Amino acid sequence: MTIFFFAIKRCFRNVMNIIFLCVLPILVILMPDEEWLPLPLGFQMYGVILLFAAGRIVSIMMDDRAKGILTRVGISPITHLQYLWQNLLAYSLILIVQVGLVIIAGSLYGHDLIHPFLLFVVYSLFALTAIGFSLAWFSLFRHKETAFAVLIGMVFLMAMAGGMLWPLDMMPELMQRFAMLLPTYWLAESITIVASQGDISELLIPFAMLLLFTIAFLIIGSKRRLA
Amino acid sequence: MTIVYMKDIVKRYGSFRALDHVDLEIEEGTILGLLGPNGAGKTTLIHSLAGLIKIDSGEIYLFGKKLNENIMELKRQIGLVTQEVTVFEDLTARENLEFFGGIYGLRGAELKQRVNETLSFVGLTDKAKSLPTKFSGGMKRRLNIACALVHRPKLLIMDEPTVGIDPQSRNYILDSVRKLQQQGTTILYTTHYMEEVQTIASQIAIMDRGHVIAKGTLDELIENIQHEERIELEVVNEPTSELLVELENLNGVKQVTQDSKNIQVVSSGGAENVDNVLEIIKKAGGVRSVSAKKLTLEDVFLTLTGKTLRDGEED
Repeated sequence: MTIFFFAIKRCFRNVMNIIFLCVLPILVILMPDEEWLPLPLGFQMYGVILLFAAGRIVSIMMDDRAKGILTRVGISPITHLQYLWQNLLAYSLILIVQVGLVIIAGSLYGHDLIHPFLLFVVYSLFALTAIGFSLAWFSLFRHKETAFAVLIGMVFLMAMAGGMLWPLDMMPELMQRFAMLLPTYWLAESITIVASQGDISELLIPFAMLLLFTIAFLIIGSKRRLA
Repeated sequence: MTIVYMKDIVKRYGSFRALDHVDLEIEEGTILGLLGPNGAGKTTLIHSLAGLIKIDSGEIYLFGKKLNENIMELKRQIGLVTQEVTVFEDLTARENLEFFGGIYGLRGAELKQRVNETLSFVGLTDKAKSLPTKFSGGMKRRLNIACALVHRPKLLIMDEPTVGIDPQSRNYILDSVRKLQQQGTTILYTTHYMEEVQTIASQIAIMDRGHVIAKGTLDELIENIQHEERIELEVVNEPTSELLVELENLNGVKQVTQDSKNIQVVSSGGAENVDNVLEIIKKAGGVRSVSAKKLTLEDVFLTLTGKTLRDGEED
């Protein structure tokens, strides 16, 4: 588990990562409740922060690839799969712990999170999707800077089109159908179900879709080999 | 014992043959200096040997075992010093070694001991807690080497480990390479610096266009191309064209070149033209200095490949 432990350590060796992992979640908690939103504003936007945080930490692997460190790892008795799953496990753990802390702190702060445990499950699942998405995204690019610059636009586009920033009903029907192709749509859908205290079985389809997105992204992202 | 045995290796990239029926053997405890112009196939050979790329045909045996059938076991016995500095810049020197030791299966007290020994070997003990971003070029190179040594490989592959560093760090690294050899490590060393190979290599292999075109000790390689005599002279008066023609007409002379008052006469081996050349030059005003040039590895390389070693960048 050497790669796993060092992956956790390295996530906190960069100031920007610390901001995304530790500072921005505090802003999520401090944002006010808005009556017109099903959840407090910060929690409504939290998915965007998860996408950025996942992008930040997954880009560490891209750095390793760009700097040729993966060539050195490739010559060791470590397979491509071992390298990937240990890194991804570390990143998943970090984001899931972050989700847990945000939800606990949010509840303690006084936000009405309606069903905190279900919300934890929703965001944890989305954190995995975000990690898969980042892996797939970075596998398409050669340079981290380019990848991250385009990712910023892409995340906001996905958040807007997926109904994370405003209700989907406000958009044309065609756009609403298109939104179903985005993981952010299924996050927004899950949040709405949790916030409206719907039946748990209603979450099965959104969860299954998020899981499918995660698997698809991981498959695409893992195609790029060690060296 | 033969540590590396490569037989009839072919590696293609599309229609281009990066390795074209390469044969190479490295004996235990030797330093093999691998030289080649750009695009010769050195890096492809190294990556094939390290199991990083799959060859199209041929056989590679390491420590008597077939590479593709025992790849994970054999990888434990190989260390690669990459051409670029490939260390984690967000981890300290010690953490870098702990990481690379860890992925080779070292744990606990053994890992700690190896890390300490390796840091001491490359002279970075006092920088163990520093990040590589604070290191000089030479120190980064030493850490780069340390990361390949921490698991004590029996075969160390060094891909241009001294590029872009100061002479002091280069000497330190070359001394370390010699020490490793004395400790029994077999080393495959590629470089663009002829003098490094001349200094440390017990065997030299020259690659060109995907082939190993020559292999042997420095003396053996020189002997193989010693079919020319070169006489270099500095003359008193500017040489006339008649004088140059007269030199060219001497028995066995292959080439006469002139640069200001310097003349180089290349004759076939055994022509023994020194006296004849001096006699002609004396009549034309006299000789200021004369030398019969001793062949070097550079001459061997030039003769065999038709190129100088530093034509462009790495392959």
